[in-house]
Parts: sequence; structure tokens; C-alpha cells
Amino acid sequence: MENLDYARLQMAFTLGFHIIFACIGMVMPFFMVVSHRKWLNTRKPIYLKLTKAWQRGVAIFFVTGAVSGTALSFELGMLWPEFMKHAGPVIGMPFSLEGAAFFVEAIALGFYLYGWKKLPETFHWITGIIVGISGVISGILVVSANAWMNSPTGFDVVDGAYVNIDPVKAFLNDAWFTQALHMTLAAFAATGFAVAGLHAIQILRNKRPDLHKAAFKIAIVFGAVAALLQPISGDLSAKDVAQRQPVKLAAMEAHYETQKGAPLYIGGIVDADNKTVSNKLEIPKALSFLAFGDFDAEVKGLNDFPEENLPPVPVVHYAFQTMVGIGSLLMLAALIYFISLKKKSWLNNKKYWWLFAILTPLGFVAVEAGWVVTEVGRQPWIVYNIMRTSEAVTPMPGLKFSFYLYVTVYAILAVMVTWLMHRQIKVLNNSIG
Amino acid sequence: MLYVVLFFTFFSLFLYVLLGGADFGAGIVELFSSRENKELNKLTVYKVMGPVWEANHIWLIILIVILWIAFPAYFNIIIIYLHIPLTLVLLGITMRGVAFIFRHYDAVIDGTQVWYNRMFRISSLITPIFLGMSFGALVSGKIVVTDDYSNTTFAEIFMYPWLNTFTVLTGLFYAALCTFLASTLLIGETEGDIRKMYSRKSAIFTVVLVMVGGAVLFYGYWYDLVFVKEFLQNKISLIAIALSALLLIPLWFAIGKQKRVQTRIYAGLQILLVIFAAVHTHFPRLIITSTSEVNMLENTAPESVMYVLGISLIIGGGIILPGLFHLMKSFNMIRIPSRSGKHTAED
Ligand code: HDD
Ligand code: HEM
Ligand code: HEM
Repeated sequence: MENLDYARLQMAFTLGFHIIFACIGMVMPFFMVVSHRKWLNTRKPIYLKLTKAWQRGVAIFFVTGAVSGTALSFELGMLWPEFMKHAGPVIGMPFSLEGAAFFVEAIALGFYLYGWKKLPETFHWITGIIVGISGVISGILVVSANAWMNSPTGFDVVDGAYVNIDPVKAFLNDAWFTQALHMTLAAFAATGFAVAGLHAIQILRNKRPDLHKAAFKIAIVFGAVAALLQPISGDLSAKDVAQRQPVKLAAMEAHYETQKGAPLYIGGIVDADNKTVSNKLEIPKALSFLAFGDFDAEVKGLNDFPEENLPPVPVVHYAFQTMVGIGSLLMLAALIYFISLKKKSWLNNKKYWWLFAILTPLGFVAVEAGWVVTEVGRQPWIVYNIMRTSEAVTPMPGLKFSFYLYVTVYAILAVMVTWLMHRQIKVLNNSIG
Repeated sequence: MLYVVLFFTFFSLFLYVLLGGADFGAGIVELFSSRENKELNKLTVYKVMGPVWEANHIWLIILIVILWIAFPAYFNIIIIYLHIPLTLVLLGITMRGVAFIFRHYDAVIDGTQVWYNRMFRISSLITPIFLGMSFGALVSGKIVVTDDYSNTTFAEIFMYPWLNTFTVLTGLFYAALCTFLASTLLIGETEGDIRKMYSRKSAIFTVVLVMVGGAVLFYGYWYDLVFVKEFLQNKISLIAIALSALLLIPLWFAIGKQKRVQTRIYAGLQILLVIFAAVHTHFPRLIITSTSEVNMLENTAPESVMYVLGISLIIGGGIILPGLFHLMKSFNMIRIPSRSGKHTAED
């Protein structure tokens, strides 16, 4: 592998690591404040216990998110200096606002974590809400920077220089809204199902079911609502991609031949050399409809684009299938949850808890898969149709070592955080009252 | 707007050096403490720094973001040629951040604490050294900016410029500065015997700081480093440094009398003067390479970008600074309660 490949791998790996902590850092505070509110309203000790346990979780995830994010803000420049040199000023606005949002988040978190019994109760609770809201805002802001890479606007290129920069227009690019909406929902769906699933596992093990059922209820509501909205927002995203990045759409669907009334493939093995897809399930005309809202619309195929502008099709296609598959599963699970509100008997059925236990990691798998679609699907461009990834990479050789360094360090971190969470749950289970 | 942006650039730099520095220093103080004092220091530091810990480090992010948006060409050189030391800084920040939070938020207190503590203390020392080395490398005149990688070796471009005697000295200087800041800050947070301990440490680290600072200047002068030479010829810089040295006298007394607010103000002023002195001589040519001096104010982002950035910074600053101040005040970082002892997030 070349230097460029290591740079890409390192970027993918560190972003993929960060996104997990970012999602949890965005969403967990909401669970925490709901539980906190319940404590304030009912004064049932289990809610206080739960709030404090989640608060520890938030603190641990927040810091891991923050340090990996700090690394990222350097890394963008360290790995892609040419990109940052040109694009930095253009997409600076969301990043500078994001800095402000982080600050607000860190300040509010300081108040929240250290404010027990020192601050007035309501004010203390509100600082928790601010943590959540500023987290979501910072998420939306970074995603809009990424959306600009997919749909660059707000500048002109003259002799390789980016001039006439309009930062506001660049920020509000065509893709920002659909991407930010989809990402925010994804964070809620993934974290909601993950937290609910972990508590479902404890319920199955019959450890403190009172506590864990209370926790499950809070987390699953957020997750289920988001999971129901996710496919709708995903459909908006797909229509958007069809407009602005037809190559990406074709790669997502492994759609080689330009065709009117194009079919949708479900599953299928892509043979990129022979440009064929085998073992697929075909739904006639569905792709045309999903992409353009018209059963007979023409969908451009990969063969119509120059070879050097194609992303690696199989990766994008499989990732997309994974995301959509998991999206459908989570939506079903969300429906099951809402039905169970009426059919209370389900709650005594072990299969019900098993379902949620199995779903625990899947939301995050979908998040990673979705990002692979977005980012790998944009290749070979770092800024779509403007700058190639290969033109952006640092001249420094030996990126192999920094890649392995990050992998090692982050792997250790991941193990440690998991272990710490395990200990939190154990302490919670053994607590009395 | 350029001036607003420049103001925030140096403001973030100052606050990072000061607050982030005190934060690193707290870990270094701990590293060089006796066994019982280590535990004591840990609790004090947690009490004092806990709530603002995270905020202290965001100044670095703000600084980086401003640099890349407003001064892209300038940032480009830093980020390409200091890739390795900056990676090490990041590694240090990561280890330190997680060790800090792990040791205070692990649900079970057991033998693993020993490892968290070690990780925290060692990364507290290493990180500011690499940061100081990176700062030093920028002005050392040893960075080789080139497009032609065939005639040079990896080490010539990516190692030697930041790994030499001068940068090691600047690295040690920054670490000493951090330690000095932390021990000065902690005087105010404690009382009785513990306070005496920090006063003593503070005095020791002041001496260390002055010695290392002297060594940096002496080395630079001896080996003809442009930055140091011009620094020593610039009256205003010299006055600033002299002032900062003079401030040592009242500082020394204030430390002796264990005055809280005064020691901090003197220490803060000293940092301000040191940064001012360093920046004044060479601003805006704040990178000195082997062949040229890179002007920060050339190739800045266009006015439209500066405008939006400036407005964002003003609004952001307007929200953040009062919030931060309030946070520090609420948790008595600026005014300290008369109690001491064990604190956890639970109470
Ligand atoms: C819980 C996670 C999750 C789930 C269940 C889904 N997605 Fe998704 N998807 C994401 C998480 C995600 C993501 C990780 O958040 C992405 C990556 C970039 C982005 O903005 O969102 C994404 C991107 C993404 C894109 C590419 C957008 C772009 O490149 O600009 C499309 C077209 C879809 N999604 C479509 C769908 C559809 C039709 C789904 C149907 C069920 C779906 N997603 C479920
Ligand atoms: C879609 C991708 C991303 C999302 C949704 C996201 C979201 C977040 C969130 C919510 C946080 C707060 C930390 C927490 O609460 O745990 C965070 C932290 C951070 N992120 Fe990201 N991020 C993304 C990608 C990036 C990228 C590409 C960068 C670098 C340029 C970055 C830089 C940072 C930084 C510097 C922090 C630390 C801030 C702090 O100290 O609080 N993030 N991110
Ligand atoms: C956190 C969620 C994200 C994940 C999981 C993710 C994933 C990836 C992946 C897999 C790649 C490698 C693509 C390839 O080379 O084949 C990549 C590249 C990259 N991403 Fe993202 N990405 C995320 C968010 C972002 C955001 C928010 C930004 C910027 C604001 C960003 C900027 C980049 C850049 C600059 C590259 C390298 C150039 C390129 O390969 O196009 N990413 N990312």
C-alpha cells in the first residue's frame, strides 16, 4: 500500500472511532436529564442512581470523544494539508461555530458534573439539557462541513486558488440539511438501541430488573422514534444524492447500465471487473422511483462515467445494503416496542428482551456503514469534482507508522472504556435501594 | 476584522499557555512529589481543576481552527513540517485526558488506579515538552521548506528541525513554565502545611524556570539563532523580559506570604510578558525557516472569510467568557473556600 492509502485508512479509522463517542456524547445527556427529571418529580431513588450512573458514562464518553476530536482537528491538516489550505477558509465557518458549541458543552458539563447539591436544582438540571443541545449542534455543524465536500459551493476556482469565498453559502450547501438530519436521527437511533439493548441484557440476567427496566424505557423511546423517522430521512438523502452525486448513487446500487425504469437490487454480489451483479433480488422500476419519485425516470449507470472517476463499487454497495438492512430491522423493532405499550404481556416474554439485546450493536454498525457510503462513495474526490484525494495528501512519507500508532492506541482505549462500562454496570447491579 | 481575528488568536494562545499549562503542570508537580504528597496533590487538583479541566484544553482547538481558517498558508507549514511532534502531542493529550477521567470516574477503586496515575503523570510531563519543542522548532530557523524530496532525507526534513538541542531546551522551558504555573496556582487552593508545600515547590520551580529560560537564550545567542539574536537586540522585548524578571521579586514575596490572588496575577502577567516579548520581535514573521521567514499576514484568508470568522468569534466569546467565568467562580476557582479535603463528583 502507498502513503495515500495509509492516510485514507487512518482518516477512516480515527473518524470511525470518533463518531461512536460523538454519537453517545450527543445523545446520552438527553437520557440523563430525563432520568434526572424523573428523580426530581418522583424522588424515587432508582432514578437518582440511574442519573448518576449515566452521568459517569457521559463523562467517560465525553472525554474520549473530546480527545479523539482534538486529534481529528489536527489530523485534517496533518494528513490533507493541501485540502485544508484551500478548503479551510471556505468551510471555516461551521468549524469556528463548532468550537463555540464545544465550549458551551464543556462549560455546561462542568456545571452539571460538579453541581450536585451546590447549584439550585432546576438550574442544575438545565445545564444538563444544555450539554445535550450543544452536542447536537456541534454534530450538525461538522456534518455540514462534510456536506460541503459532497456538494461544494460558495467559491470559484481560478488558477487553482479558491476565490470569491462566501462562507455562509458554503455552510448552507445543498447537502447540509439532508445529511445533518439523517446524522442526528442516526445518533439517536444508534445510541437509543445500544443503551436499551445493554439494559435488556441485564434484564435477561435478572439483575436489578426494576432499575434496568426504568433505564430501558427512557432509552428505547428516543431510539424507537428516531428509527421510525430514519428511513424517511434516508429516502430524502437518496433523492438528494441522485441529484448531486449520480456516480455515488449508481455505486450504492451497483447500477452499471443506464436505464429508464431502473430496478432496485437487494443483496447481490458485485463483480467489479466484469461489471455484473449476481445473486440479487430485483424489484422492477423501484430504483427510478426511489431516486427520482418517478417509476420511469432514467438512472445513469456506472458505465457512463469515466473509469478514473469511479469509487470502489463493491464497498459502497455492500455498505449501503448493510445500512438499509439494519434501518429496516430497527424500524420493525421500533414498531414492536410501540405495540408492546398496549400488549403488556410481551414484557414477560424473554424473546422480547432477546430481540433488543441482539440489536445492541447494530445501530452503530449502520452509522459506520452509512459513513462508508458517503465517504468512499465520494472517491476519488476529496472535494467532489474539484480536488482529488491524491492531490490533497501530505508529502510526508511513512504514514504507515502513524496509522499503526493510532490503531494501537485507540484499540487500547476501546478496551479500557468497555471495561470501565462493565464495572459501572456491575456496581449498579450490586447497589442496594 | 483581521485585528479581531488576530486578537482572538493570541488570546487563545495566551489562555492555552496559561490554563492548559497550569493543567499540565499539575501533573508534573504530582510526578515530582513524594508518595503521600502525590495522593494529596491528586485530590487538590481534582477539586481545583475538575470543573474547568475540559474547557482549558478547548483553547487549543480554537487556536488551531482560527489558524487554519484565517492563516491557511501559514498553518500549512506548521502542520506539514511538525507532523511528528504534533502527533506526539496529540498522543500525550489523549493519554492524559483519559487517564484523568478514568482515575476519577472508575466505579471501582482498586489497583488499576496505580496505572491511571502513572499514565496521567507521565503524559503530563511529556506533552508540554513536545509542545514546547514544536514552538521552538517554528522559530529555530531549522525548518526546511521544500518541494523537492529527492535530494533530502526524511530525517533532514521531518526530524532534525524539531529534534535538536535548542528545541529540547524550549521543550523543557515550557514544561518548567507549566510546573511553575501549577504550583503557583495551587498555593491559593490550599492551606496550612499543604500550602507551605506548594509555596516551597513554587519557589523551586521559579528557580528552575529562570535557569532553563536563561539556557534557551544563552544557547540561542551562542549559536547565532536569528530569533534569539533579534530578540536580544530588540529593546521592547528586552524591557518586557526585564519586567517579567522584576515581577519575580513581588512574586517571590507573595509566595512567601502565601498570597493567593497576587501570586496568580503576577504569574499571569509574567506569562503575558514572555509571550509578548517573544511575539513582538518577530511578529508577523512567526515562522523562521532555514531560508526564509514566513509572514503570517501574507496569504491570509479573504476579507469575507475574516468577517464571518471575526463575527463568530465575537459572538462565541460573548457567550463563552461569561459562562467560563461563572463556572470558575461557582466552583471557587477564583475565590477559594476555606475548607479542604476529599471531594468527589458525588457531593
Ligand atoms: C442508525 C444509523 C442509520 C440507519 C438506520 C440508516 N442510515 Fe443512512 N446514513 C447514516 C446512518 C443510518 C449515517 C451514518 O448517519 C449517514 C452517513 C452520512 C450521513 O449524513 O448520514 C448515512 C448516509 C446515508 C446516505 C448517503 C448520504 C450522502 O452521501 O450524502 C443515504 C442515501 C442514506 N443514508 C439512506 C438511508 C436509507 C434509505 C435508510 C433506510 C432505512 C438509512 N439510510 C438508514
Ligand atoms: C460526523 C461527524 C462528527 C460528529 C457527528 C461529531 C460530533 C461531535 C460531538 C457531539 C462532540 C462532543 C463530544 C462529546 O460530547 O462526546 C465532538 C467532539 C469533538 N469533535 Fe467531533 N464530530 C464529528 C466529526 C469531527 C471531525 C471531522 C472533527 C475534526 C475536524 C471533529 C472535531 C471534534 C473536536 C475537536 C471535539 C472535541 C470538542 C471538545 O473538547 O468538547 N469532529 N464531536
Ligand atoms: C464521523 C463520521 C465519519 C466517518 C466514519 C467517516 C469515514 C471516512 C472514510 C471511511 C474515509 C475514507 C474514504 C476513502 O478514502 O475511501 C474518510 C475520508 C475522509 N473524511 Fe470522512 N467520515 C466521517 C465524517 C467526516 C467529516 C465530518 C469530515 C469533515 C468535515 C470528514 C472528512 C474526511 C476527509 C478530509 C477524508 C479524506 C479524504 C477522502 O478520502 O476523501 N469526514 N472518512
